[in-house]
Amino acid sequence: MKRRTVRREIERKKFVYLFLAPTFVLLLLFEYYPAVSAVYHSFFDWDGFYVNRFIGLANYREILFDDWVLRTSVANMLKLMAFGLGVGLVMPIFVAEVLFSLRSIRWKYIYRVLLVLPALIPGIVGMLLWGYIYEPTYGLANQLLRAVGLGSLAREWLGDPKVALYALMFMGFPWVGGIGVLIYLAGLQNIPQEVLDCCKLDGAHGIIRFFKVDLPLIMGQVKLNVIMGFIGGIQGFGVQLILTKGGPGFATMVPGLVLYDNAFKYGRMGYASAIGVCMFVTIMGLTYANMKYLKSGIEYQAKS
Amino acid sequence: MTFKSGLSSARRIRFGWACEYVPVGGAIVGAKVGNSRVELAKHVLLWTIVVLTFYPFIFMFITSLKTQSQFELYFWQLVRPFHWENYVFAWARVAPYIANSIIVCAVATTLILVVSSMSAYVFARFAFPLKEVLFYAILGIVMIPGTLTLITRFVLVKRLGLLDTRWVLILPYVAGGQVFSILFLRTFFASIPEELFEAARLDGASEFTSCFRIAIPLSMPILSTVAILNILAQWNDLIWPLVTITSEHLQTIPIGIAYFRTSIWQPETGQVMAAYVLTSLPLVVLFFASMRTFIEGLTSGAIKA
Repeated sequence: MKRRTVRREIERKKFVYLFLAPTFVLLLLFEYYPAVSAVYHSFFDWDGFYVNRFIGLANYREILFDDWVLRTSVANMLKLMAFGLGVGLVMPIFVAEVLFSLRSIRWKYIYRVLLVLPALIPGIVGMLLWGYIYEPTYGLANQLLRAVGLGSLAREWLGDPKVALYALMFMGFPWVGGIGVLIYLAGLQNIPQEVLDCCKLDGAHGIIRFFKVDLPLIMGQVKLNVIMGFIGGIQGFGVQLILTKGGPGFATMVPGLVLYDNAFKYGRMGYASAIGVCMFVTIMGLTYANMKYLKSGIEYQAKS
Repeated sequence: MTFKSGLSSARRIRFGWACEYVPVGGAIVGAKVGNSRVELAKHVLLWTIVVLTFYPFIFMFITSLKTQSQFELYFWQLVRPFHWENYVFAWARVAPYIANSIIVCAVATTLILVVSSMSAYVFARFAFPLKEVLFYAILGIVMIPGTLTLITRFVLVKRLGLLDTRWVLILPYVAGGQVFSILFLRTFFASIPEELFEAARLDGASEFTSCFRIAIPLSMPILSTVAILNILAQWNDLIWPLVTITSEHLQTIPIGIAYFRTSIWQPETGQVMAAYVLTSLPLVVLFFASMRTFIEGLTSGAIKA
């Protein structure tokens, strides 16, 4: 009886499934199938094409106990991510607060446009430009040091294993060129005027207002950016691929590049898939923890 | 002095009405002077940040007008004569890559808009069996990291014989890009008044017509936002084209530009910088062109509040 009504309902809403068909065909083919296939092949010695031998958990054992390159890369990744998340939160929120407190509406708008422009410059151009900045002879960094009489500090920034990782962290200074500022500013502007008036009456200014009112009310945006930072940080390797190849030595190696090298350089696609599965599990765990423990104050806001 | 102010504050408490007047003399005026100093400090701070953020790009532009010897002799300043021919040189080399990127982005983004509008439309407007499950099936994709599926997707497209074609870029871009597009559009479609669709239905419009003649035209601003975000992601994508495209004549701009400096043309620094400027321009142009659509979309149409 019930089944029949469901069937009739499906019959009646046929067009719905027709509308959804292209989406799901593409998702199954290019997202779900590769994901399942990657998990499956992580238990295999697989070169992607011919060799395909079941080896149980051997790939995972190698990841955990034997692969010191991967271990170095995880340490590098954690440093990069800790720093990236730190400045990626502090700088945009700080600038957004300053912008928010600015009296002139016109200047607010001008700064907003100015700060969105760098987000339009392709990431690859930014990376290559920073590659130029770190050039040993005609790089901006060294030229600047020489110009101010600190020429002795000039060095091959990306070629020196001691500083290469820090050079990568410093890229993008002052770390506000993106839509982060706009997102936080929008969050701040969404705070109801009554709340701000209350703050004024109660004498909650500056730091106190920031921690007690502003921050809880933009927690939704903060959470989203933290999650995106994790997801990007754990798997990202574009900069390393273009500028350092993980070198010098393994000084700037990151897990994403270990995965890439294993898959496309050494033909160890099974092993690379296992690394991918580990990233997936980590991301799931962190996203869950983030959802659960970083409480959002967004429920407080009235729906507009 | 202290006594006096003590008295005045006591009076303030006793005579409530006075409280508006008492501080006017000293406090507010003082605060105003202080505030404008604070405002100035804020401007200085913001300009410092803006200049630091922009400096690499300004440097890129200045250098793009120099020959190699101008670059080495006058590292910092803009010097005459300007060598616009650097752009001619760079354009001849990067134009094919830019054309490839434009073709791929245009086709992929158009397909994303069509496919995700259709899905978002039904998720926003209808109840149907399995709706929840299907919606979470889409939402779940967000959790799957791109690096996990990179390898197996590569093997898949190789088996499908798509390697080294434009479709190898377009189809996965559509598959991946539609996810957040659907989430965005669904929220917007849900806010369109039901009466509009009611009217269309009375006039005998099919669901297909309602979607493409009502929902989509009303959603131009949000559609252009979604389009821009997708185009940004595709224009910047580095790794997927790097592993799937081997023919020079199909390659997209990020890879083209990444290896431009060390290419057989042995470009000078100025020429490389000119190429970087050219790579950046299409998105800037697109942004300013679409800002108008944004505003048009916002100011016209049936959904004025």
